[in-house]
Formats: sequence, structure tokens, C-alpha cells
Amino acid sequence: MPDRKQNLPQLYRFCFLMLGDSRKAQEVFQATLREAAASAAHGDVPREPFWLFREARWRCLEESKTDLQAEPLEMEEYEITPEASLQIEQLEPAQLAIWISSAPEPQRTALALFYLNEFDYGEILDLADLKLSELSRLLVMGRRQFQAWLNMMAPQISKI
Amino acid sequence: MKAQRLSRAQRTLLSCAPINEERIRDRSMRAALSRARGSKEFANQQSFDRAMAALVDAIPIPPETAEWFSDKDFFPASKWTWKKMMRNPAVLAVGIAVLVIAGVFVFNLLNHLNDFPGSATARKLLVLASSTRPVLLDPVDADAGTLGDLFFMKHGLEHYEVPPEFADFRTIGCRVFEDEESRRIAQIWLVEKRMQLFLFPAERNMKTGAVLRFPGWRYVQQEGWTGAVAEHNGVCFMAALRGRKDDLIRYISEAKE
Repeated sequence: MPDRKQNLPQLYRFCFLMLGDSRKAQEVFQATLREAAASAAHGDVPREPFWLFREARWRCLEESKTDLQAEPLEMEEYEITPEASLQIEQLEPAQLAIWISSAPEPQRTALALFYLNEFDYGEILDLADLKLSELSRLLVMGRRQFQAWLNMMAPQISKI
Repeated sequence: MKAQRLSRAQRTLLSCAPINEERIRDRSMRAALSRARGSKEFANQQSFDRAMAALVDAIPIPPETAEWFSDKDFFPASKWTWKKMMRNPAVLAVGIAVLVIAGVFVFNLLNHLNDFPGSATARKLLVLASSTRPVLLDPVDADAGTLGDLFFMKHGLEHYEVPPEFADFRTIGCRVFEDEESRRIAQIWLVEKRMQLFLFPAERNMKTGAVLRFPGWRYVQQEGWTGAVAEHNGVCFMAALRGRKDDLIRYISEAKE
């Protein structure tokens, strides 16, 4: 299995983006690794390259089932501006994680996997069980919604 | 992004464009990227994505979590073993399928191993023997060996002679009928163990018309009945009874002695 596929720091970051909470992310991360270690001890390590991420994803979905769910609401969207990168630089990683973790499924998984910068789009489609057109729509919508949120959170930067 | 120059598929691909270009593996993505290069909209998307990825990369790893990372491969690739391969459901399914196919093949091979010219007809006649009732036959109380003359005189059947092994047994009845291929078949019912005798034309070569001969006695079994078949002068004789091969062999070996 190539190292990239079992990049454990990225696995933790994926859990953090999915759950938006460091404690929960650690729990899911450790539970995933414990399960994987037990499988490895029995010689049942799946040959599938992303099984750790797939396993972690399902655990994150299970974990967030018990959370309070935000009411679905129409989010504002805004065209990406050239200043967006400067606005993003002003953010804390936890703010991004909270924003992504509150996105509805499967957008949450799509954004978390995409911005991990760990997988190509084909691998994301496989991991998130999406079609290319769906992934594209979710990412476009996510960028525009995040830009709108950025504009709301950091209006002073958007005016640069 | 100059939308007018990009197809819908390319726009779809571009929105999933990798943040690092070294991750591009397919030609269609590379083509879409080269078309979009220089477009302001795509440049904004790329800089947005890079900033987001940098922010994700800056997510701190808690020390408790970092303890789980090690230099060693945490999950070494499992070793290939026969035992493990045998437990694989796909291998197991293929194995079972091959065994079943092999079993059917061997069964068919064994079934046809003892085939001889006329064995198919003999099997059909065994089925007939199992369903025949004495009332269907004309009552004849005589030695089986004398019926050859009756078949010749009454039905014009040449060489429909009962072999010496069975010639001395008393008969209950007999008949001559045609099968579905219009072949004339003589059927005799014996008192001895309610045995039935059949005489039918031997198989012939389709091209030359020559009789397909076979030496000695051959045995067939069908639905609990056993038949001993011999060919003589282009006519097959079959002695049939409900039972095993040994029950018939006894008559044939006794006659030889």
C-alpha cells in the first residue's frame, strides 16, 4: 500500500473536517486505527487503497447522526473573488472545519476529501460514491457558499 | 474562464481540478486545464483552492493523536497464504463451480464408459419393461427358445432367436410391437423371476448400413432394472430383470459352465 494512502496525519485532518470537533475527531481516528490494527492482526487488511479513509468516513457519519442537526436553509452564494485567498488566510483551521462539518452530506465529504489535497477526483468519486457531475456541482456550490460566508465574516478583507 | 471555449464536460472537470497539477493523471483533465489557463475565473478558483488546502494543512495534530504515527508501516500488507486464498469467497465459489462441473463430467463419462451400439435402445426398453403388465402380452406357455420360429412364421422376423442361456425358461406371454423409430421389437415374459426378454434390430452404420457388432454380453442399468445385451446375426437380445447386474451374470455364467 503506498504511503500516501495511509497518511495518518491526513486521516486525522479528514476526521476533523468531517466533525468540526477535535475531541470527536480524535475518537473516530483512534477507533478507526484500533479496528484496522485488529484486522491487521488477523491478516485481514483490505487490499483497497483508501480503506482507512472509507472506514473513517462511515464512522464520522455515524458519529454525527447523534449530533443536533441544523435546519436546512438556503445558503447565500457569491462568485469567487480574487481576494478570497487573502480572506482565507485570515481564518483559523477550526473555523474552516466547523464550516465544512456543518455542510450537508455528501457535500461535507466532497469538500473534506477535496481540500485534504490527498486524492485526485477519481479517487474522491470512489470514496464518496459520487458521480463526476455531482462532485463538480457540490464543489462549485461549496466554493460560492464559502465565499459568501467569507464576505460576511471578513468584510474588511473583501474590500481590499 | 472563457465559458464559450469550454464544453460542459470540460467545465465539470475544471471545477474538480486538482490543487496540485502533479496529481493530474488523465488526458481529458489536462486538456481542460490547458484550455482554461489564462482565464481569470479559473485563476480565482485555483488560488481559492490553494488557500483552502493550505488552511487544511495547518490543522494542528493533537499530541495524543500524533502518538499513533510511527515510522514503521502501521498496517503491513498481509502475506499471501494458501489458507487465506481458500477463504476468499470468490476463490471458494470458483472452486465449488469447478468441482461441480468436474463431477458432472466424470458422472457422464462413467455413464457412457460402458456404452455399446444399441445401449440407448436397451435403456429405453428397460423403462418399458418396468411399466409393462402381463395382460399386455399374448399368453404363451412354452420354452423361450421355441419362440424364434413363432416370430419368423407369424411376423417374418429373421434371427429373432433367444440365446441358449435363456432358451429353456418357460414363458408367460409375448408380443411384437414397433417402437417410435418403426423398429420391430419382440418382447417375451418369463416365469423365471418375472424376467423379460427383448429382441430388437442391432444398430447399423448410417453410411454403409453395416451392423455395428460388439462381442459378448454387455450390461445396462435404468430405473432399478438391469439388462444383459448380446448381438447375433444383426439382432440384439436383452434379458431384463428388476435387480442388480450380479442377478443376471449368474444366468450367463451358469449357461457357460
